[in-house]
Amino acid sequence: MASLDSIGQGLPKLVHEAQQLDKMAVSRLISLFEDDRLGSAALRSQALGLLDSRPDQTSGTILGLTGTPGSGKSSLLSRITVDLLAAHSSLSIAVLAVDPSSQVSGGALLGDRTRMRYLPSENRLFFRSQASQTDLGGLGPSSFQVCRLLTRLFDCVMIETVGIGQSEADIRHLADRVYLVLQPLGGDEVQFLKAGIIEIPHAFILNKSDEPTALTSYHHLRSSLWLARPFESEDLPIFQTSALTGAGLSELEAEMLGQIQQPGGSGLTTREAYFFDRWVHQEWGRAGGRYLATQLGGSAAFVQQSGGYEAAQACFSSIFG
Amino acid sequence: MTQAEPHHNTDAHLISDEQGNAVRDRPWIIRTYSGHSSPKASNELYRSNLAKGQTGLSIAFDLPTQCGYDSDDPIARPEIGKVGVPINSLDDMHILFDEIPIEQMNTSMTINGTAMWLLALYVGLARERGVDIADLNGTTQNDLIKEYLARGTYIFPPEQSLRIIAEMYEFCLEEIPAWNASNICSYHLQEAAATPAQELAFALANAISLLDLLKERGQFDDEQFERSVGRISFFVNAGIRFVEEMCKMRAFGELWDEYTKDRFGVKNEKYRRFRYGVQVNSLGLTESQPENNAWRILIETLGVTLSRDARARAVQLPAWNEALSLPRPWDQQWSLRLQQILAYETDLLEYPDIFEGSVVVRSKVDDLKAQAREEIDRILGMGGVIAAIDSGYMKSALVRSMSERMSAINTGEQIVVGLNRWTEGIPSPLVGGEDGGIFKVDESSARDTIASLNATRAARDPERAAAAIAVLQEAARSGASMMEPSIECALARVTTGEWAGALREVFGEYRPATGVDGQKLSLDGERVDALRSRIDLLAQKLGHRPRIVVGKPGLDGHSNGAEVIAVSARHVGFDVIYSGIRLSPDEIVQSAVEEDADVIGASVLSGSHVELTQQMMDKLGEYGAGSRIAVVVGGIIPPDDFDVLFGLGVKRVFTPSDYELIDIMESITEVIEANQDTE
Repeated sequence: MASLDSIGQGLPKLVHEAQQLDKMAVSRLISLFEDDRLGSAALRSQALGLLDSRPDQTSGTILGLTGTPGSGKSSLLSRITVDLLAAHSSLSIAVLAVDPSSQVSGGALLGDRTRMRYLPSENRLFFRSQASQTDLGGLGPSSFQVCRLLTRLFDCVMIETVGIGQSEADIRHLADRVYLVLQPLGGDEVQFLKAGIIEIPHAFILNKSDEPTALTSYHHLRSSLWLARPFESEDLPIFQTSALTGAGLSELEAEMLGQIQQPGGSGLTTREAYFFDRWVHQEWGRAGGRYLATQLGGSAAFVQQSGGYEAAQACFSSIFG
Repeated sequence: MTQAEPHHNTDAHLISDEQGNAVRDRPWIIRTYSGHSSPKASNELYRSNLAKGQTGLSIAFDLPTQCGYDSDDPIARPEIGKVGVPINSLDDMHILFDEIPIEQMNTSMTINGTAMWLLALYVGLARERGVDIADLNGTTQNDLIKEYLARGTYIFPPEQSLRIIAEMYEFCLEEIPAWNASNICSYHLQEAAATPAQELAFALANAISLLDLLKERGQFDDEQFERSVGRISFFVNAGIRFVEEMCKMRAFGELWDEYTKDRFGVKNEKYRRFRYGVQVNSLGLTESQPENNAWRILIETLGVTLSRDARARAVQLPAWNEALSLPRPWDQQWSLRLQQILAYETDLLEYPDIFEGSVVVRSKVDDLKAQAREEIDRILGMGGVIAAIDSGYMKSALVRSMSERMSAINTGEQIVVGLNRWTEGIPSPLVGGEDGGIFKVDESSARDTIASLNATRAARDPERAAAAIAVLQEAARSGASMMEPSIECALARVTTGEWAGALREVFGEYRPATGVDGQKLSLDGERVDALRSRIDLLAQKLGHRPRIVVGKPGLDGHSNGAEVIAVSARHVGFDVIYSGIRLSPDEIVQSAVEEDADVIGASVLSGSHVELTQQMMDKLGEYGAGSRIAVVVGGIIPPDDFDVLFGLGVKRVFTPSDYELIDIMESITEVIEANQDTE
């Protein structure tokens, strides 16, 4: 890993190469957006400036896929990405897979690339793993930052998380559309559904629909939604898919493509306040959060006054650190 | 019966024939697992082994043949003829069995993903030679469960793999009645560190699930089903704890008799008999002081031969230098002689079961049976072996056992002579000599293999080959038996890669769970704490936690070593990307580039380490990542190749003598620290 100085010197070239989706360049830029060294925020700000200076700079759509381990998210993603890229020759997709870290060693086993068999040497598809740095999953500390980069490089960012409880709230703030991937369940697990996990997603994917209990699960899910979200339950799509046989994938892919092609892309700037507040809490704890809320006028105002997310990070570090 | 008849012996220590004469038992089938380079070279080896008194053939196929690739496929090239013989078509079978009377042979083929194809080729060979296929005798290993768990040469998803196995049973029962369509293998489970109870349970659950399937398919009437139970055979492992291993074999026999009687209602005792072949343990063979392995092999052989009631039907032994390299013909001959001495020089085969009535043995057997039954119930309760594979349950149990074994060796709790105790010794003269005590495949043989593949393609009737493939795919889709269509493919000179490719198109290719998730090591102490702090410090310097891509380039599927490294690396604080087996060097490098990894740890056990490393280095260069991402290599790597690998830019080489996980982890950390300083 190069020093920050040397990254800074090579930044224009790196950004240019990353815009061509050169894998090494994209990878190194992501590392800069994950970098927690002091001084890296300034370089990120510079990189974003370079990217945004391009007149045709667009903003990609963020799709979130969350679900318990074993629901088949990775296999599903593997098929969807390959299908979408094959059908649309100008489309580009980045996958960001977030996995839990060990609380003992800090290390993590990352990225189920095992199931992610895709086209080698295809620059339109990029796969990156991240450690959540918590043992329950959810987003990592730099997931938001990395998404700000990736939406500037790719048409679509698919973010895959292991979701339990609180972490779903994060992903709804990050993604333009959240899909909850479920596998056919037994009766007890349906009770778990009612407890809140289904309140967040925009759409549901009932995977492994080739299994015999799939239809029963579909009806359980429908009735649970009717109870949990009575005013919108009719509009909530449930996709029944099988990554094994390919059943139901074309409907899901069509709906995802519709999301990607919607004008406007992700409104990540509107989410900066939420993630800046989250960052302050992670780095400085409750004391930091209180200070931000009471002394600095709250997250949204502070980010705006400071002149952006990175500047706010630098500014807060110098005030509070 | 009176004492006046001196030759009419009723003494309990003698074996008598029907006339009451004292006799010796016939020895088990004596084999050597072999095959290398090319069909021609292997044919010469087999004929010389048979001349040395070997009584059956045990064929080792190379990895491309096992995984269903033609020799000229890019992924196959580094592996041609390395761990066995390459077979591309029926023409190769004619060369492999040249001047060997197959109707008199007991031929065991270690073949799984492509077992139906190899059986089709063997049948095709018999038909073209005018041999009645009912006279063929032998085994196709064909146990995909253990491939998913430990060995890695599966191709298709579990459901389709089991269908293929079932169709082979259905074909063989009437057509080749003495053929074992599959062999339930617990061998590889012990290599993956399964405990005796796990070995018993996983193998029996596997066999039970197979019989459940045969019954469910409904192709057999009751009488045929009973006979098909009698065709189920096993292939087991025997480790160094030889008393326990002997008890394990007795437990196997008793449990199998009980399950076939109680669950499947088999009345004829003959069909309930537990028939097994054995290869003794390679896992415990050491690279340090390798000559000690000769004693280990001898002791392990006793575990499966001493007791008559649980004696193996066929035995094959590894060579003393397996942890160093692929064995040479002389090494195999030495192991063969061990069997011959035991069977023909000693008095072993003159006695009935010498443990009958032993209270200690009885108690140990009962204990193992109880543990195994509990585990079998658990697996069947999950819905059988396929469910237990899909959920990752069995794989995780094995990775855990392996991690525990490594921890025990690391702490010295499990003694391995010459490895973690009594490590000082005089250098072995056995590894001297011109070839350094290791076997190297003649490079020119790969060229010959590809040339003969091209000749086959050029000479065949293309329309007949294409039609045969179309019929095969149609059968695969419709659910009709694929056995006859496969035989027609063989006769039409379809190639191994074409046969497997045609079915891949219909069935897809399977990627099972890696089993490393959620695993823990009982490795702790000051050095682990110190290393964790060192890695935390390194993370601050790097701006991220150090990342390692652990990968197995090539077709070799023995993933235990890579899995333990992945689990250890996480244990000390690395972020680990582990993508399982059978990856091309390009895929591993692409992972490392996309993940911006600090280091790639590649594991190769097939002997192709130089070619595969070269390919990875070239690819890293193409990405401009040569100086950014360091490479370390582990596996069965002869010392002579170290400098070759270092010359390619490899930073560290680990071999089986590097068993201290913490040493390996410190060493990899050093590599990253050094790389960080130079950049």
